[in-house]
Amino acid sequence: MKRNRLEIIRDILKIVQTNNSIKQTPLLRKSNISSSKFKEYFLELLEKGFVIESKNKYQEKVISLTEKGFKFLEQYKTIINFIEEFNL
Amino acid sequence: MPYKYLNWKKLYTTMNPNLAPLLVTGLGAELIYSFVIILCGLMIYFGTKELYELSSYKGIQYFRKSFLFFGIAFFFRYFIKIIFTIINPQEMLFMRLFPPLTTILFIYFSSIAIFYLLYSLLWKKWKFLKVSYLHLLSATISVISILIGNSLFYILINILFLLIALISLSIVYLRSNKISLKNKLYLAYILLFVFWILNIFDILIPSFFEKLQLVIYLSSIGIFFAIVYRVLKKAGSD
Repeated sequence: MKRNRLEIIRDILKIVQTNNSIKQTPLLRKSNISSSKFKEYFLELLEKGFVIESKNKYQEKVISLTEKGFKFLEQYKTIINFIEEFNL
Repeated sequence: MPYKYLNWKKLYTTMNPNLAPLLVTGLGAELIYSFVIILCGLMIYFGTKELYELSSYKGIQYFRKSFLFFGIAFFFRYFIKIIFTIINPQEMLFMRLFPPLTTILFIYFSSIAIFYLLYSLLWKKWKFLKVSYLHLLSATISVISILIGNSLFYILINILFLLIALISLSIVYLRSNKISLKNKLYLAYILLFVFWILNIFDILIPSFFEKLQLVIYLSSIGIFFAIVYRVLKKAGSD
């Protein structure tokens, strides 16, 4: 079944959370979306402050979850329930 | 004519300080009523702030803005009532602008509130419709209503909106198999639209529901409280 926007965001953030910090390529692979779509979502997540990019000890770019990203995952069910409740 | 319509042209020359608005309920009741509705609107708007900030979900945006606009409309509604009761617009040139200005704003915000609420339910299906069109339509309706100078036009427009709202809500809930008396939200929305029309009657034809004014006010407050309660419960706010 096709995932909607919020589901995709949740899945991407869950992958980052599970891996603590992850490089972009494995994240793209695990997200199971096209690279163009991934780029869109990734930029959105960066802009909104759900994830940040930093360098690990090997000077490789890695992505990790911010507090806001954690908050989204916590509140995900509430958001979905609210949308369903009010038919939005 | 059986009822006193709010006719702007007549108003300037035959201002009656005892115009119906506050005969039945009094200034205090008007203040409380408006304050409660404005507060409800703001509670919904700010109560859903976090959900929107996290999700950027359009449906939530339109929903919360709808209640913000309801609150703003009620603010201007109260202003209109106070102006007609306390201030004599004949006294100062500047004050003569108040009634039509506040009424334009009341009509604009009340129209856009209804549009946003409907759009929050139908935006996925009505992708051809841009939000800016709704603002333009509301502005057009408010300006035309004032230029025509007869509140009956605006009342008829809102009755038309009510019919569109009822049909749209039925379509939405039929498709989701949620149409039943058990679905209190469906009922709450219907009642909200009905009481909105009654509030418009109350402001534009003050003597129309003179004896039922208090009942309308209490019922409107009840509806808003029910929606606020449901929103805050589902939004997980304290």
